Amino acid sequence: MPRELTATLGGLGHGLLLTLAMTALAFMGAVLLGVLLAVCRISPVPPLRALGTAYVTVFRNVPLLVLLVLFVFGLPDVGLLFSLFLTVTLTMALYWAAFVCEVLRAGIRTVPLGQAEAARALGLTAGQSIRYVILPQALRSMVQPLANVFIGLALSTSLAAAVGVAELTGQAEFATLKYDDPLTGFAATTVVYLLMTLSIGLLAGRIERRVAIRR
Amino acid sequence: MSEESRLLFDVPGPRARRRTWIATVCSLVLLAGALALMVRQFALHSELSASQWSVFAQWPILRFLLTGIEQTLLVTGVAAAIAFPLGAVVALARLSRGRWARWPARLYSELFRAVPLLLLLYVFLFGLPRAGVTFPVFWQLVLPVSLSNAAVVAEIFRAGVLAQDRGQAEAAYSLGMTYGQAMRWVVVPQAVRKLVPALVSQLVRLLKDSTLGYVVSYLELLHKAQVLGEYYHNVLPTYLVAAACYVLVNGLLSRTAGWLEHRQSRPRG
Amino acid sequence: MGARRTTPIRALAGAAAALALVAGLAGCEGANGAPVMASPWQPDFASVVDEAPVADASAIPAGSLMAKIRSRGSLNVGGTDAAALFSLKDPVSGKLTGFDAGLAQMLAQYITGKPTENLVTVTADTREALLQNGTVDTVFATYTITPARAQKVAFAGPYYASGDAILVAASNTSIKAVADLGGKTVCTESSSTAANDIKQYAPTAKVILFQTNAECEQAVEQKRADAYVLDQALLLGDQYRDKNVKVVGTPFTTEPYGIGVPLGSPEMKTFVNGWLKLIESDGEWAKLWQATIGTALTGQPPAPPVIGSAQGS
Repeated sequence: MPRELTATLGGLGHGLLLTLAMTALAFMGAVLLGVLLAVCRISPVPPLRALGTAYVTVFRNVPLLVLLVLFVFGLPDVGLLFSLFLTVTLTMALYWAAFVCEVLRAGIRTVPLGQAEAARALGLTAGQSIRYVILPQALRSMVQPLANVFIGLALSTSLAAAVGVAELTGQAEFATLKYDDPLTGFAATTVVYLLMTLSIGLLAGRIERRVAIRR
Repeated sequence: MSEESRLLFDVPGPRARRRTWIATVCSLVLLAGALALMVRQFALHSELSASQWSVFAQWPILRFLLTGIEQTLLVTGVAAAIAFPLGAVVALARLSRGRWARWPARLYSELFRAVPLLLLLYVFLFGLPRAGVTFPVFWQLVLPVSLSNAAVVAEIFRAGVLAQDRGQAEAAYSLGMTYGQAMRWVVVPQAVRKLVPALVSQLVRLLKDSTLGYVVSYLELLHKAQVLGEYYHNVLPTYLVAAACYVLVNGLLSRTAGWLEHRQSRPRG
Repeated sequence: MGARRTTPIRALAGAAAALALVAGLAGCEGANGAPVMASPWQPDFASVVDEAPVADASAIPAGSLMAKIRSRGSLNVGGTDAAALFSLKDPVSGKLTGFDAGLAQMLAQYITGKPTENLVTVTADTREALLQNGTVDTVFATYTITPARAQKVAFAGPYYASGDAILVAASNTSIKAVADLGGKTVCTESSSTAANDIKQYAPTAKVILFQTNAECEQAVEQKRADAYVLDQALLLGDQYRDKNVKVVGTPFTTEPYGIGVPLGSPEMKTFVNGWLKLIESDGEWAKLWQATIGTALTGQPPAPPVIGSAQGS
């Protein structure tokens, strides 16, 4: 029994590692792609704008679970067989990139137009005004929404269990099948998720306070 | 030109316009190439074969999926009818001055925002029945979805109220209004007007959350797609059709949000 | 650019041809190789259920669970709608067919006189809870009798014996028995107990859980998983409709399926056991087997397992 217990705990620990790795990798991917998409949507080139808009429309409106199943079982059908972990992480990144893109756009929009006008009146070039005036202000207002995306992403990794990735929730499912006792496993995982999201929230609050402009 | 473009760029001159034009042509060629590659991949692996798709030409199958959309909308509607008022109440409690209202509300919104919806569903599915509390399948899906979304709505609502200009509340107090009166007549009505788009976006999330119906075997759109895929052994086309349905329904909702946002920003310019 | 222009036309032509094909075949066969439950030389599912016996009023004492079901007029059954051969819902007609579904309808007919079952979909996680709190009267869901489960619910039967087998891609020659699964990637349905069996018989195998049978089979076809382990009868159903996969070896576990009934209604267990004996002796059981599982297997129906033979029943 103790050996079995350690095996189960080891499984849960392994699941937690997978969850963390998936969260970190997917968030990095989502931010990279999200920036790219935001640039597309803001750029003056019509086809790129259309592409950005279409992407965001599709990925924001399809439930993540549907996307996961489509990618896990769809990509091999068109000749692209990646590992399950990679496929799921990629799907998460693609899905959340749409949200990151919208957060970035909304952040830029919080900067009053007068700021840009003032910067140009002072003789800054377009590049300079973006670099020194607009982005520093926009980034501040993005901290909290980005943290929300991060939390949403961390929680949504639990859906990976539905397509066969044995991350935290999936391991809890294994334990449930084995011990026929659903409550303990799920209570433990709930605590872990709670710890994860609370620490992300705290961290975001700290960053936000640090970068806040005192008026 | 969109607002953020006006913020970032100057009105383009002749050179900038020529560059934009060149970029347009280049990106069009690239996009067309990517699309052609995609179609080729699909065709190579016979995903475009008619036999995979022909089921969707049958009316009973379409009706089967349509009833799925209907169920999805029903779940969304009922969950929204619970989550939005509950979220507003929690937000007001969090903003109130009494500690006994503030702390439970804070605990509620922190807890329910931090627990994955999937786990919450499991609690309703396994946890509560052990304690002797059971719900019909419909409520096993709707209640967790509502509870989790109410916490998010509360945060949206609270942020909206906090974002109000302080002067509004201060002016109300100086007119002799109490805290409650100022909230009721001055702060909340203005906040709600601004929040409508965010709340509609939350509706989209609610609708997407209803896909977790598969966990409790509730026959919403996704679960119906699963049954179809199982019966006809065409998992991929079925899920693509389901995805298209979601884009359509949610797209309409988002469109409404955009329209409301537009209508609201107009009077202020 | 050329490819882009011709493909939609080809696809359209294909779709039109398929439509014509569907129209032509609609009368005799489900589109896309959907399971065809009734063939001329096999008993028809609907008629087997229709011919099922009805209990004498004297067999149903007042105050029993059966009397409650009879006055309600329908049987609340915990089952699934997505298990080929056992309990699969036809999306078009909404009717359930399969061995489990047929037995449930026959039991409903036996108690109430009508083959009406109210299906409450259950999963491996929810069956016990739903029986215990009275949401369902019985569970027919390829429900393996185990002593641990018998602590929570009572089992009538066993009514069928199956066992875990292995499904691999048709081109696979390296996996022939459970011993070959070591170190391989093996998938199974998340709601089944096969995951535990894999861990027991092939501890070094990597287990992946998917939601449905179709997804598991797809994973094997796409080589995402090397093998798929589940009850042999279900795997045979997959092999039957898809030529890209095959079932190898013989079952390596024994899974006696039981009918779950509430622990608090011992009269129901006795009653259901009596009904099982009746349909097994008068040939109804064998006919139902032929109309359902028999469509995927060759040969004569097996002898039903001895009632009460499984530990926990």
